[in-house]
Amino acid sequence: MQAQHVIESEPTKDSYSDSRDALDETIEHGPSFAWVKVKLRPGQRVDAEAGAMVYHSPGVEMATRLNAPRKGGLGAKVLSFFSAILRKFLGGETMFINEFSSPQGGEVTLAPKMVGHIQKLTLSAGMAYYVQSGSYLASEPSVQTKMRWGGLRTLIGREGVTLFQCYGHGDLFINAYGGIEPIEVDGSYIVDTGHVVAFEHSLDFKIKGAGAGMKGLLFSGEGLVFEFTGKGTLWIQSRNVQALVGWLKPLV
Amino acid sequence: MNIELEYKPAHTLAVVDMQPGEQIRAEAGAMVSMRGDVSIQTGGPKEKRGLLKRLKRTVLSGETFFTNTFHTNQSAGRITFAPKLCGDMVVHHLSSDHELMIQGSSYVAAPDSVQLDTKWQGFRKLFSGESLFFLRAFGQGPVIINAFGAISHKDLQNETLILDTGHMVAFTSGLQYRVRKASSGWISSFLSGEGFVLELSGTGRVYMQTRNPSDYGQYVGSKLPPR
Repeated sequence: MQAQHVIESEPTKDSYSDSRDALDETIEHGPSFAWVKVKLRPGQRVDAEAGAMVYHSPGVEMATRLNAPRKGGLGAKVLSFFSAILRKFLGGETMFINEFSSPQGGEVTLAPKMVGHIQKLTLSAGMAYYVQSGSYLASEPSVQTKMRWGGLRTLIGREGVTLFQCYGHGDLFINAYGGIEPIEVDGSYIVDTGHVVAFEHSLDFKIKGAGAGMKGLLFSGEGLVFEFTGKGTLWIQSRNVQALVGWLKPLV
Repeated sequence: MNIELEYKPAHTLAVVDMQPGEQIRAEAGAMVSMRGDVSIQTGGPKEKRGLLKRLKRTVLSGETFFTNTFHTNQSAGRITFAPKLCGDMVVHHLSSDHELMIQGSSYVAAPDSVQLDTKWQGFRKLFSGESLFFLRAFGQGPVIINAFGAISHKDLQNETLILDTGHMVAFTSGLQYRVRKASSGWISSFLSGEGFVLELSGTGRVYMQTRNPSDYGQYVGSKLPPR
């Protein structure tokens, strides 16, 4: 599967300039049990996956919406509903998104479900990141997400691969199972699908079996891998959720 | 009695050095090792009075039915304790001027100078899927509590904090608490994934854990084949 470098130029409701006030956040307790503390200035907002809130100050308001691109009209609302369902059942993301805002300023702290670290990525116009399903934690409202299916091959291996394309501008917080390591790719790089957290859209990628042929795919224990080519940054995690699940399966 | 916490924060172990004739009461199953002349009593000497009272604490709080009391005899001893989940531990020093409310599964151990009781939290918690009761610890001395993830604390000075119930570890009695919906509407409170939150206000300390055990369990559990 080839990456498509098409960025939808969907106008966002929130008009931010590049000289906007960046979010004031602190990532603490990493790498094992990181959370992110966000100080909201009056009028600022942060969106997070459902259930991520740990605590907030009394001035912070929470609004819940479907995890789908925001568009007007009834037809679009119905579409949003199905899009949110797809994101939940195929993408492994939450069906709802919580929006935290504060008219007079305040603080909200967010944590992922899995143990591990949090990484901040910053988007500017024309950039995009692919984020592995389950790794999205929070973002500024000016960041948009779009689901991308990993293709038929990903259904053969036991590892489902679903990617979210994040574009727009502003900060995005992703979480990993274990530590996060950035890798500057220049040329070619191969990563197990279960260890990919995110990568820049400037990288081309193919999903394929790790070993040679079907035997390699089914018995090498490596399943599927991403083969990246080109130039860009890639973030990998030091643990694999599917491997944990595979270890637990015979024990439950 | 001297308590040291080792291997913080991911896999914390509590190392308790005891003088001759001292006692410590721990959650059943928490003991890792013992050295010296240490005897174990299940239930503990202070609980002779009733099975019902113990049942109340277990059924209502999710704390294990039996606590084990370890006591040294003629010579000193060392006991180590560990909780079930990965994460940090903290030693809170209780004195007569305050009590500590501990989320049922966060209690590890305390000497017999600290008493434990349960406190009714209200019916609303029935829907949230998290433990219904706090353990109320009072008296004098150290209490060892554990968390899933790191432990963070906040000292409130006549302030209010809204905390997810799954991230609560313990708070001191200077804080009033109220369990309420996460947002104004019932439907949005449930859809938001936050359900109920704890509104703490007043002056005192709150201990929080950076991970939510039931969120983690549901996330990993949803990937396992159905039984």
